[in-house]
Amino acid sequence: MTISPLELLLLEMASGFYLGAFILYLSEILLSRPPRIPWAPVTAGVGGVLFQSLAIFIRFGFQGHVALLSLREVLSFFSWSLVLTFLYLEHQKKVRILGLFIFGIAFFSTLMVIGISFRTPVLGTGEPIGLLLSIHTLLIDLGLASAALSFMVSLLYLLLDQFLRRKIFNRFFSRIPSLETLDQLNNNFSGIGFVFLTAGLFFAMIWSWEKFGRTIPLASQGRLAFIGAILVWLLYATSVLVRWNRRFRGKQAAYLSISGFLVFAATMLVLLFFSKGSHFIL
Amino acid sequence: MIKITLAGVNHKTAPVDIRERIAYPKEHLAPAVRALSNEETVLECLLLSTCNRVEILTITSNIHPSPDFFTEFLSRTHPSLNGVSLRPHLYYKTDTEAVEHLFSVTASLDSMVVGEPQITGQVKESFEICRKESSVGPYLNQIFQRAVSAAKRVRSETAISHLPVSISYAACQLARKIFQEMSNKSVLLLGGGEMAQLTARHMKKMGVRSLILMTRDPSRGEPLAAEYEATYAPMSRLEEFLAEADMVVCSTGAETYLLTVPVMESAMERRGFRPLFLIDIAVPRNIDPEISKLSNTFLYNIDDLRSVVSANQKEREMETFAAREIVHQEVSQFEKWRAERSTVPLIQSLRQHTEALRLSEIERFSRTLDALPEESRKQVLLLTQSLMNKMLHPAYQALRSSSNVDEAWEWITRCYGLPPDIVRPTVADRTREAPEKLVLDSPLSDLPLPGEQPC
Repeated sequence: MTISPLELLLLEMASGFYLGAFILYLSEILLSRPPRIPWAPVTAGVGGVLFQSLAIFIRFGFQGHVALLSLREVLSFFSWSLVLTFLYLEHQKKVRILGLFIFGIAFFSTLMVIGISFRTPVLGTGEPIGLLLSIHTLLIDLGLASAALSFMVSLLYLLLDQFLRRKIFNRFFSRIPSLETLDQLNNNFSGIGFVFLTAGLFFAMIWSWEKFGRTIPLASQGRLAFIGAILVWLLYATSVLVRWNRRFRGKQAAYLSISGFLVFAATMLVLLFFSKGSHFIL
Repeated sequence: MIKITLAGVNHKTAPVDIRERIAYPKEHLAPAVRALSNEETVLECLLLSTCNRVEILTITSNIHPSPDFFTEFLSRTHPSLNGVSLRPHLYYKTDTEAVEHLFSVTASLDSMVVGEPQITGQVKESFEICRKESSVGPYLNQIFQRAVSAAKRVRSETAISHLPVSISYAACQLARKIFQEMSNKSVLLLGGGEMAQLTARHMKKMGVRSLILMTRDPSRGEPLAAEYEATYAPMSRLEEFLAEADMVVCSTGAETYLLTVPVMESAMERRGFRPLFLIDIAVPRNIDPEISKLSNTFLYNIDDLRSVVSANQKEREMETFAAREIVHQEVSQFEKWRAERSTVPLIQSLRQHTEALRLSEIERFSRTLDALPEESRKQVLLLTQSLMNKMLHPAYQALRSSSNVDEAWEWITRCYGLPPDIVRPTVADRTREAPEKLVLDSPLSDLPLPGEQPC
């Protein structure tokens, strides 16, 4: 089965909208003045999400189940959930500066999805993966999106902290929300990411138990996945738990979130590349 | 043709000893406006008087008042200016330049502190006084509305007013970069200096939860605390309040550091390492600079705040380019309106001329028309009126859209065979004889153009 031309067209449209939103957010920073049409970048983002939602829907329809196994599928779902979360966040907290990063990432992710689709236009066998594994992949992907947001918010926190300490008052400085807001967002996204990750691992273990009669994989690729997942989980558990200790506020929490995301992303990439998109086959 | 003239004296052209003598006290402004509007040539006028400027804008017909007219008026209404030559300090602008200047003033682009918000309110107040004194007509009304619109656009479309240029306000703006909400924050003021008081005022406006004032001398601190609705506390309780406060403003006359690293370390421990914003505006400094190295503490001294202000001033200057573009757009809009408006007397004359022709033709055929049944007669009369409107419409359009009204009028007079002096003397005469008629019935409405009337 080959890639649906409609799916590709929708992805191209989505990447176009994401690029538009990215340019609009960038111009807001460069022009250093209140935007004339403040709703324009958000509208572009909504347009992109709508097109990408359709593309994902078509992909799931073709496969006949939740398809989040290959790099192409993971990237597409990742950028989609990232943009969707940002749109909610923008509506609630007005963290416009984050739009620059989110739409930049979303644009390149969809571009990569399109590139991969052109290079390997033939889809997998489309063998159903079962409910447990579908939930697992969904939760892990959502966890990755939360971790990415937490990572970006932490970067902004460290940047603003440096600006305030070094007394740098540039255009970027004026666009970053307060330290308190960023710390709160970091806290929220780390917490959400941790919940998704824990639940995702839990479902994977149940699936493993059902299929192989054991919760801890023994095969080399499976072991790699497991070690990565445990490492990420431990980091996230630490970052959530140390917040109970008041010393680990702000900067320290930002460092933890950054390292948490990097390990998470590295684990995902290693799994996707080395296990050829089928890390669940242990 | 209506002439717009502006003359004035401001902080750029006159020293303060001239400006303070030339400024009109509030109670003298209305009589001055009355005196100016009673001048024979002046149809409409606006008098703006602030501590930094006195400006007069007049609307006259056909001729611009000379600069001497303004200096003479200013000297006449300010007896204290006797013997002072105002001419070297006076700037004089006409038509588009005058309008552009007033728009720039209203948008705070000509202010001493560019972007300060008070001037727009002062222009509005002056306009209101002039309106009460009936010196406002359609032109001034239009100029005022466009000026306020330009000011609003400048404020909303540029960052000119978002960048604080006072030290106390800059401190408050920086606090917003650390804290999400100020309504649950507590501010500790050490010392009751002028800067601390200004900061207290800004903080109060920002809606902080509590203000605590500490001074060495309770007899000075307590009344100050009452003035700013703050809580007074003696200096001996400093460490206790440090654990609670989110922002500390230091401006005491102490010779040594009041806040040292060990004091701060202990306070941070007790406050659960919540961020603390410290402002040291005292000279010599009251806070040990080493404190800035502690995690979650942000220390700013007077020089740091000055650098914030100077960076903002530079940024504001950059923003004036964009602001001037907005002013240009609004001026063009006004000029367009003005050009359209100047065609009104021409259109009225053309219409009167053709209406006279129509009536004389109806008179010529009165016998034939009288023979017709009443309904048919009405229909014929309507037909002539409709035909006339239809034929005149292109001429109205040509006049309104023409960039050179005189040329268009020349062409129309030739086409319709009108006498060349059909309109000019009439308009001028009417202006002199009954200026209140030339000005609209209501100063806030526009005169409907003949072509816009239903057939």
